[in-house]
Amino acid sequence: MLKEVKNKLGNPDDLISETMDNGYTKMEFCFFPGMCDINQVKNGILVPFSYRFDPDEFRRMLRADLAFIHADKPDEWASMLLKGCALLEYEGEVFAFGAVRRMQTKPDPTEVEASLQGPQSAYTEDLDLNLNLVRTVYNSTTLSVEWHQKDNIASQSRIMILYDREKANRDTVKEVRTQLDKVGKNLILGAGQLAKLMSHNRHRLFPVILLTERPDRTVMHLNKGKIVVMLDGSRFALLMPVRFFDFLSAMDDYYEPFWMSRFLIVLRYISMLLTLTLPALYISIVSYNPEVFRVQLAFSIDGSRAAVPYPSFIEVLIMLFMIEALIEASIRLPRFVGSTAATVGGLILGQAAQQAGLVSSIMIIVTSVVAISNFVIPNSTFSYFIRIIKYVFVAVSIFSGLIGVVVTLFMLIVYLCNMRSFGEPYFALFMNAKKHAGKDQTKPQKAG
Amino acid sequence: MVRFFYYHVIYVGMMNIMVLVPSMLISHRFNGAVSAMPIAIVSGTLFACVTSFCFQRFPGMGLPELYKRFLPRWLGIALNLLGAFAWATGGIIVLYSYSNTIGLFFNPETSPYINLAIMSAACIWAASRCSRSVQFTQEMLLILSSPVIFWIMFKAILSPWLDWDAIRVVAGRITEPPSVVPFFAATFVFSGYLNVTLFNRLTERGHRYKHLWIIPVFCSFFLLVSFFVPIGFHGTQAVGNYLYLWSVTMDCLIMKYGFIQRVLYLFLLLYTLLSLLFVMNTWHTAMEFVKACTRRYPPRPEQPEVPRINWYICTVFAVCTFGYAYMMNDLRNQMVSELWLIGRYFIELLLLLLVILFACLERKGVRRRPDPRPPTKNANGVPGP
Repeated sequence: MLKEVKNKLGNPDDLISETMDNGYTKMEFCFFPGMCDINQVKNGILVPFSYRFDPDEFRRMLRADLAFIHADKPDEWASMLLKGCALLEYEGEVFAFGAVRRMQTKPDPTEVEASLQGPQSAYTEDLDLNLNLVRTVYNSTTLSVEWHQKDNIASQSRIMILYDREKANRDTVKEVRTQLDKVGKNLILGAGQLAKLMSHNRHRLFPVILLTERPDRTVMHLNKGKIVVMLDGSRFALLMPVRFFDFLSAMDDYYEPFWMSRFLIVLRYISMLLTLTLPALYISIVSYNPEVFRVQLAFSIDGSRAAVPYPSFIEVLIMLFMIEALIEASIRLPRFVGSTAATVGGLILGQAAQQAGLVSSIMIIVTSVVAISNFVIPNSTFSYFIRIIKYVFVAVSIFSGLIGVVVTLFMLIVYLCNMRSFGEPYFALFMNAKKHAGKDQTKPQKAG
Repeated sequence: MVRFFYYHVIYVGMMNIMVLVPSMLISHRFNGAVSAMPIAIVSGTLFACVTSFCFQRFPGMGLPELYKRFLPRWLGIALNLLGAFAWATGGIIVLYSYSNTIGLFFNPETSPYINLAIMSAACIWAASRCSRSVQFTQEMLLILSSPVIFWIMFKAILSPWLDWDAIRVVAGRITEPPSVVPFFAATFVFSGYLNVTLFNRLTERGHRYKHLWIIPVFCSFFLLVSFFVPIGFHGTQAVGNYLYLWSVTMDCLIMKYGFIQRVLYLFLLLYTLLSLLFVMNTWHTAMEFVKACTRRYPPRPEQPEVPRINWYICTVFAVCTFGYAYMMNDLRNQMVSELWLIGRYFIELLLLLLVILFACLERKGVRRRPDPRPPTKNANGVPGP
């Protein structure tokens, strides 16, 4: 066995392979110490084989213990070793001992989707622990967990499909499976990448798959009949099909008092609209239709632009470039340098640019409103998309002013209404309310 | 899904301003417009209720499917093309007059063709989507814009500058015998129900057009507002001097505390959305009617991938709009829209008779072709529970 395994793996130096002899009998034994939990290997194999050796008991242990799998196919040996098993050949038979080293033993704290009052645990990069998190909260007999095997993936990441058998739409499940089959890339490193590969059209302007690190959000969507895809090695789960409104909801909306959560939702929609249209509106008001505003306001805007020597759109483009660069820099930089970047950027954006006559003071307000409103959007993927679409509005407003902005808004709504996420409408109102009200009544949940 | 039906009813009621219904009514304000209005309310409600009631018998079927079912093929094609022509011209007239209004009030320095180009590009794009997407768009935009439009309307009605005496003077002319042209114009307000001819395709079996009382209540309100409010602001005589009657009327209102002082701009921006919606709906319907003339394109209300033919047909409409814009000026456009409003009334009458005929034939079991629908199909395109 050892020879075959070594041949297949190209005789790597980090593989421990021994032929062990305890005085009575011999055993061939190999494992990757980096992939295996050394304590488990010691307690499960080495101790029974060496100083507690009893041939009958050892044989019985190999046959009966759940950790030992009979591995009689030589093709699978190498991949078992790579997944973290220890292989041993005893009396002509080969057994695999599952001793995968778990880096994580407890859930991570939430990092991206923080919540004030909700659960604070998030997914980890270990799929089994993630499944445990889901199963603990969604303790239902109808939860289906399917292992989606893909042979052509080099990284051999495990992919799991989760859905509620009674609530999920069969056609949608089928659609998700075909989309997963279509994924051609052979190296999947993160959930975001998988989401990108699974979306029907790469050039979409809006995401059709929601990434979340929160088990409670996952479970809520499972309960709505949505489908969840989980990937080993990623701390995000993919939820589908989703709707536009799911991206603007934070889990705190379910935990906060009614009016507070409604208020926050309205705030988010207003912020989204502001961050989308404000730079474009600035251009169209300044360059095309100053008469739309009341006279005093129009004058004060124009007065603040007195020192600015170029048309409004150049001003907007300069400021938007600066703020985008600042955001990008503060995300990628290490924490210690990050605060410096923010300070420097804040100084430039705040006062210097205006005093130098490069931009007007109203434009600085516009820029900061745009940036802050963008941060209000709870989902980071979605806020990226909104950041991009903002420039479409800017481009249109340069050429056709206020009417262009309204027409573009119309086209954006048409675009959203024509989108489907895995066959279900993406941007339609009142689609689920009735269906789920009926379901909740038929299946009362028992406490405890 | 009955709410989608009423979205159309309500937005067409609001749109009457853009197809110059008020100016036609007001030009006859002393000779028969007022007395024509109650008749129009009765007639419009009757048309709407009877037609939609008859369509109830044919869930999941639009007008082209009914033609296919009961009429010889050539007649069906002729009627389809007639319908497509009526719808498409409605869209073209609105697009032209609205882009003119925009040019006048927003961008007087840019070429009118640029406004027209932007708007028709948006309309081509919107109208070529599938019927279900068009309905979603309809719902979303109407829910976004109608609260503000209602607010503006009530602001106008409750304004201290509204002269109720002038309104009373004109309303007193109800004793005059009704005249024909204002009658045709006023029935347009009730024409929103015409969307059943296409969007009935999306209805399920057992679908009922409930709450038909919405039609007379809302549409009469819109009709009265769009006729009497300009009179109240401008007086009985001066009101006849304006071509862009409602834009000028809205300029009489100011918002004391807003960023925007003149209500006119808010009004025009909202009506941009509504006009685009109107053109989207009319062109989409016309496009589907044209597609129904051939056998290659069976009705598919849910089809997010847009077939190429949709683009071609809508582009033809847009090209026609440019041709129309090249030939027209404001006065000729007013004449054409009068003609269109009159012709539309007769088409509605024809539709009413046809639909009653179809309903009777269906009851007797006379049909030329068997039922093409699959046995259970609902509007969502997913198998039912």
